[in-house]
Amino acid sequence: MTMHGDDNGELVEDSAPGDQDAGEAGTADGIRNYAIGLVLAAGLTVASFWVASGTDLIYSPGVAMALAALAIGQMGVHLAFFLHITTGPDNINNVLALAFGVLIVGIVIAGSLWIMYHLNVNMMPAGMMDMHTQP
Amino acid sequence: MLGKLTWSAIPFNQPIPLLTSILVILAMLAILAWVTVKGHWPYLWRDWITSVDHKHIGIMYCLLALVMLIRGFADAIMMRGQQAVALHGQGFLPPEHFDQIFSAHGTIMIFFVAMPFMIGLMNVIVPLQLGVRDVAFPTFNSVSFWLTASAVLLVNASLFIGEFAQTGWLVYPPLSELKFSPGVGVDYYLWAIQISGIGTLLTGINFVTTILKVRAPGMTYTRMPIFCWTALAANLLIVAAFPILTASLGMLLLDRYLGFHFFTTDLGGNPMMYINLIWAWGHPEVYILILPAFGVFSEVISTFSAKPLFGYRSMIIATMAICILSFMVWLHHFFTMGAGADVNGFFGIMTMIIAVPTGVKIFNWLFTMWAGRVRFEVPMLWAIAFMVTFVVGGMTGVLLAVPPADFVLHNSLFLVAHFHNVVIGGVLFGAFAGYSYWFPKAFGFKLDERWGKAAFGFWLVGFYVAFMPLYVLGLEGMTRRMQHYDVDRWQPWLLVAAAGAVLIFAGIGCQAIQLVVSIRNREALRDHTGDPWDGRTLEWSTSSPPPEFNFAVMPDVTGDEAYWTMKQRAIEERRLTDLPNYKAIEMPNNSATGFVVSFFAVVTGFALIWHIWWMVIAGLAGAFATFVVFAWRDHSEHELPASELARIDLLRRNARIDLVEGREKHITPVKLVAGGEGEDPHKVHGGPPDGGHKGPAPKRILTGYGFWIFLLSDFIIFAGFYAAYAVLSHATAGGPTPVQLFDLKNVALETAFLLLSSFACGMAMLASNVRNMLWTQVGYLVTGALGLAFLILEVTEFAHMLAQGAGPDRSAFLSAFFALVGLHGVHVTIGLLWLGTMMAQYWAKGFRADIMRRGMCFALFWHALDIIWVGIFTNVYLLGTAP
Repeated sequence: MTMHGDDNGELVEDSAPGDQDAGEAGTADGIRNYAIGLVLAAGLTVASFWVASGTDLIYSPGVAMALAALAIGQMGVHLAFFLHITTGPDNINNVLALAFGVLIVGIVIAGSLWIMYHLNVNMMPAGMMDMHTQP
Repeated sequence: MLGKLTWSAIPFNQPIPLLTSILVILAMLAILAWVTVKGHWPYLWRDWITSVDHKHIGIMYCLLALVMLIRGFADAIMMRGQQAVALHGQGFLPPEHFDQIFSAHGTIMIFFVAMPFMIGLMNVIVPLQLGVRDVAFPTFNSVSFWLTASAVLLVNASLFIGEFAQTGWLVYPPLSELKFSPGVGVDYYLWAIQISGIGTLLTGINFVTTILKVRAPGMTYTRMPIFCWTALAANLLIVAAFPILTASLGMLLLDRYLGFHFFTTDLGGNPMMYINLIWAWGHPEVYILILPAFGVFSEVISTFSAKPLFGYRSMIIATMAICILSFMVWLHHFFTMGAGADVNGFFGIMTMIIAVPTGVKIFNWLFTMWAGRVRFEVPMLWAIAFMVTFVVGGMTGVLLAVPPADFVLHNSLFLVAHFHNVVIGGVLFGAFAGYSYWFPKAFGFKLDERWGKAAFGFWLVGFYVAFMPLYVLGLEGMTRRMQHYDVDRWQPWLLVAAAGAVLIFAGIGCQAIQLVVSIRNREALRDHTGDPWDGRTLEWSTSSPPPEFNFAVMPDVTGDEAYWTMKQRAIEERRLTDLPNYKAIEMPNNSATGFVVSFFAVVTGFALIWHIWWMVIAGLAGAFATFVVFAWRDHSEHELPASELARIDLLRRNARIDLVEGREKHITPVKLVAGGEGEDPHKVHGGPPDGGHKGPAPKRILTGYGFWIFLLSDFIIFAGFYAAYAVLSHATAGGPTPVQLFDLKNVALETAFLLLSSFACGMAMLASNVRNMLWTQVGYLVTGALGLAFLILEVTEFAHMLAQGAGPDRSAFLSAFFALVGLHGVHVTIGLLWLGTMMAQYWAKGFRADIMRRGMCFALFWHALDIIWVGIFTNVYLLGTAP
């Protein structure tokens, strides 16, 4: 647990998001941390471009899923290595806020897609509707 | 020079708006003249306009809400009057005026009455209940208020200069698109709501941070008064929902100003997407309003029943459950628009489920009253009236949640009756309960009781007489927003409803008289002890009105109902606690930032509405300069010496002695435990008495956390734009497709630049941590250079596409693409401006704590832009071109 001294010299068990444990971890550790992040992020970026390049190694209807997975993975890398969001007890509030934000982002995107898909299908002009329901 | 603005914008040929505006302008001039003659300007400037005191800001919010209540009510009584007489005829309001009135009524009542009233009550009370001296970000609090006030000014200006929207309070497209609403009415609406939306978002960030990070020692989460919990839930909803509103109104603005095709009827636009997004904000919004009201009722019912709140923990769970569930019901606002059985079924069931936690609350309040010593004072009357009225409104809500029933009742007056039933019976009664309950705390004297009861009576009866007929009319098939009608059997009901509006008018009149009478008799109504109602929460432990610093010494909380415990102990021991050891404290300085920024916001908004482009640039530059000046200031706090604190606190303690010794006749000390059986609920179960909470967090954590919350709401803005892109990405309307347009080499280079720039920003942060100026500046320079390179590539790409005729006006797909990617680009631009300012500050002032806090926020911002870009390059560019 990180103990930060505050202005009055009292101890507070909390961390600001983005704050690295500067006191304990030296600058060298800090650089290494960012470098690992950079390498991982670059690797995932290259992987995304490779997946989208039309390689035969990936079942083509799965490309969208693979891209989404790689994107989420890379976002995680950025959160962990650049924004220093950890699972430590000093970060509980930061992680809870993040989880709430991610939940709302998910609801807005997934909900909109679901609702709008149903509207499009049900509200299709009559001519196209016939084509749609033919065997 | 003046854009679209000409003399024809002044409504010389419409007597009602013209006379009203002239009267209002004359009244305003009279007030300004009076203030000048009396020489009140220095006092107003010092104690109110530039004040960052949460209590003063809260009072100004409530005052704004009360003034706008009168404006909104004037609209309401005109509508009721019109519908009472417009059988087989035109009545007295022409259609285009009637349409503006119902649009303005809804907009004003939700955004400029209900919202400011609730935010005002939270401002006055939440820091006091938490036992602290101010909110987390006092200056931003003032900015929030003044931005709301500037939006109010714009909306009211529309009465005299130009027109207001004629599209309903949520400006549904396609009617609100330029093609069907070419006037400035919709623009007034959009810019006013965008400006006040920024203010509201800042309030949300401020209060979430305050409640989670700024609490007195020992005030653990499960010891917070329930009003703080409901305020927390409401503000979480604000930071999560308002970005969706900003995004959807932003898209409509792009449609209207730059020829985009998000919601148009041609080139692939989809108006239903707007209705989907706006209600993803709209439903949480009603809970933003009602949750604080639930908190007010909880405090009032507990105080006036002289009992702890029944089921405190179940109340917290119910509140937080509503907070999440409110995001999963929005489709019930458009069941009839064709989503089909599974979608309607899901949202119908979710809507019924959300009634459960609300039901839990009703039972908790009833059980709090049960076996209590209930005092029927004015706040309690509002609370009891609320319980009955809100249950009726809730039941009709559950009825509307059944999709087949909704198909019959959609857009009928039944719906209008339902939401007035919950908004007046819930939110407004809650606001009035809070107003009469906390008035003595804010001003030091109580409100007159007889006029308060008269106002209550007229409002309650008036509400039922005005709105119960609308349920009947809805079932009879009358739709909402009718300027005239030809059905004879509707008119008697509409006449009754109009009579109800007159009764409500009498209620408002009584409230005005109550205020005047109370101010006149203020000496007789004076609250000497600071605890006029025998309260239970910490706001009653300080004097009325509280001193600037609220508490000379931060209270030490050792259990539930912090103040009640202290008071009972003092009464039992017949003495106050020992004289504390006073220490000097720092209080934030006044700041004109809020007022000046809002002045520029009005200028910018007005210029945008009337297409006066030079004025837009001047306004934006002014606002930016104001923030730079604010960031540059050297002294943000002043010290209050210990002797001053001791002197003021002695007055409070002297007043308290009467209370403790039982000489205040209205306080009847009750035993600690109502009923006298069972365990002492205030006993601490093991652990340290402070429950492990040491007090407010240091500034670095407040700033970081507040900015983190801001970033999350920024992500949600992007989620709105991303959702629009995902829905519209196939709507190419025969124009170019992603495969033809996207150049992946360019994207790869952009990604590399942004990633490296994030790394450089990290290096600058490390250098600033060890206070190495050279490497800090070098790191930031590289960060900025790479950011600029990214921006140049993006602009080149956009220019190339525009040259090919593939601009945002070509198809809905291109609109969504330009908006999403362009929004990211705007963020990068803002980041570069910020970075330049910050580098200059580091250079000029060195590693000062406040600049380093901003450095931390900038790093968060810059890394977050990278995260958003990851979503864009994978799911827009790569997915768009993948085979």
